[in-house]
Amino acid sequence: MYKILTLLMLSAISSAVALAAPDDPAGDPSDPYRDLVVDTAGGLEVTTTDGEFSVQLGGRIFADAAVYDEDKNALGNGSELRALRLDLEGRLYADFIYEFSVDFADGEADVKDAWVAYDAVYPWQFSIGHFKEPFSLEELTSKRYLTFMERALPNALAPGRSMGIGAHWSDERMSFAAGFFGDDYNDDADDEGDEGWGVTSRLTYAPWAEERSALHLGVAVSFRKLDDEEKVRVDTRPESHITDIHYLDTGRLKQSRSTTLLGLEGAWVSGPFSLQGEWIQAKIERDLGTEPTFDGWYLQASWFLSGESRRYKQESAKFARIRPLGDKGAVELAARFSSLDLNDEEIEGGSSEILTLGLNWYINQQIRLMANTLFVDNDRYADADGDLEPEDEPAIFQLRAQVDF
Amino acid sequence: MRVLSKSILLLVFSLTWLLPCAVLASSSDTDTLVLGKISHNPKKHYRYLKPMLKYAVDRMRDLGIRKGKIRMAKTKEQLAELVASGEVDWVTETPIAAAYLHEASGAEILLRKWKKGMPEYHTVFFSRTDGPVKRLEDLKGKTIALEDPASTTAYYLPLSAMLKKGLILEKLKSFREEVSADRVGFLFAREEINIATLVHKGLVDAGAFSNLDWDKEDHLPSKYRQEFSIIETLPPVIRAVELVRSDLDPAVKARLEEVLLKTEEDPKAAAALNAYQKTKRFDKLSVDQKQSIYDMYEIMNYVDQSLIR
Repeated sequence: MYKILTLLMLSAISSAVALAAPDDPAGDPSDPYRDLVVDTAGGLEVTTTDGEFSVQLGGRIFADAAVYDEDKNALGNGSELRALRLDLEGRLYADFIYEFSVDFADGEADVKDAWVAYDAVYPWQFSIGHFKEPFSLEELTSKRYLTFMERALPNALAPGRSMGIGAHWSDERMSFAAGFFGDDYNDDADDEGDEGWGVTSRLTYAPWAEERSALHLGVAVSFRKLDDEEKVRVDTRPESHITDIHYLDTGRLKQSRSTTLLGLEGAWVSGPFSLQGEWIQAKIERDLGTEPTFDGWYLQASWFLSGESRRYKQESAKFARIRPLGDKGAVELAARFSSLDLNDEEIEGGSSEILTLGLNWYINQQIRLMANTLFVDNDRYADADGDLEPEDEPAIFQLRAQVDF
Repeated sequence: MRVLSKSILLLVFSLTWLLPCAVLASSSDTDTLVLGKISHNPKKHYRYLKPMLKYAVDRMRDLGIRKGKIRMAKTKEQLAELVASGEVDWVTETPIAAAYLHEASGAEILLRKWKKGMPEYHTVFFSRTDGPVKRLEDLKGKTIALEDPASTTAYYLPLSAMLKKGLILEKLKSFREEVSADRVGFLFAREEINIATLVHKGLVDAGAFSNLDWDKEDHLPSKYRQEFSIIETLPPVIRAVELVRSDLDPAVKARLEEVLLKTEEDPKAAAALNAYQKTKRFDKLSVDQKQSIYDMYEIMNYVDQSLIR
């Protein structure tokens, strides 16, 4: 596997280097690569000068370690490669863009984005393939640019990536996205039944969105008809991935027909300060006639001691890469409180609250070191569906070295 | 797993070979309007230019224009070649590039572009308030950071102003290089934020860029700005212009002018204007205003010939 990866990298780089034109102001007219621009500042990008074809090879490596100050249950100190991803994206024949990314972190090929989009009717874009359903600001923002190492507890309710078709539109203030989706490509079909389907849409409004100053408001809804097995399960780790403990776990909820999600989002950026929060509710419609409803929320604040500002991209309505101002990089302090309640009606999936303190050092645009300290507070039902001692209150210290290119 | 890895490998190989073949196969036709620009980031600029090109082409069908194409050049010399050979019809550029294109290829200014909402901009020279440089003449034996050799407000205009003050300029490769007491050393910082940082750290004695950069937090953070003073401000110049090749069909030229002038009032043009580097509007320039841009060619020549390299 690693031989193939190495070969892949070397072949792409050597091909692209061969394409680089000599540094001649007017260019050599007989040079077939005169009309290509090669950029290696972060990844490798080759673009034709008519802009109609481009290809970019990138990737990411997240190396994590965690130490658990255990309370009632063993969590297991350790380290892992949280992400080990290759990304290929580009443009074909002017009007089509694509992305293909695979993560190898767990030793297997996990297909992430794999889609092609029609990009000829600006500002509309139509996509088909495997991509994120338009739900939740935190989910849609790349993990490379998130303030904390892991997404907040309520992310367990957000849909993530699925096979589907979607449309996206934006103007100077608003954005709208909607799609029709099947299941996650990586889900194993273990029976002969039909897979589930869902519709999801998100509307955002930014009263202002300038450099270093933005206000983002958003609402998203999602309906999913579950597959023929009619089972649904909501479970999540305590915002730490090295442990395999999922304190909150509803277990497999059989005889569940469909789920309905509602999400509210808000974010405010003013110079080096920012606030961000979301509330997500999930309602499960069951054959039993019950409708257990779960909800969760988080609120986070961040402050760049070195003066940078979180970069909000209004067109896609999500956050983007931090660009350090000085040659010593950027330093960010952050705090988050998150809460998720999976107890309702006949379901006792547990409830948890986590306070996280974060320190990030962005050495440059592509390399970042992160340190998170978490204080977890679980209720009496947070027992991993009966497998753990409830009311566990561990503290977690975790570190990440991150490079993306 | 192995199949997937091989697939990625095949895809990379295919794409890297497909790119040059695609370029060689492309050609422009008489029913195609070609929009050009100098760019080192064609991927980004393609997204900026495409909606406006499509908007214009959609309003020229009765003139036989069916398709739009974008052609970006790495240098002003390459773009001038493309304009002169008729491969590029319409160009969106800064005034200094416009002056060169006019001289080298005969391209004519059509309209002013209110790029990022601004009709004009100007150069500001700045230094640390607690430093020794209080006016341009104080730069003798000292150093200044500029952007790159294609910039209007952060290269040609500031160098020209310093030359006119009788200063002798010498290009440095790094801020570590010494400069003799009778000369001003200048170096390229490539990005505005680097200019600001070099001055902030005292690694160079002054910097120059546009008044728009001065006000932009990404280019000059306020904590730096508080330590700086503007020591000289140059007269304003036009922010950006649209040009056309001199032998473009007069009907196409007239329609392009008409279409661009009407974008401000047309709600359907809003998305294209926004993508087109947040352009607010286009307007006409007087003969004198156009000439003042063409005259910048003399500034370019003056600067290029006066430097000690």
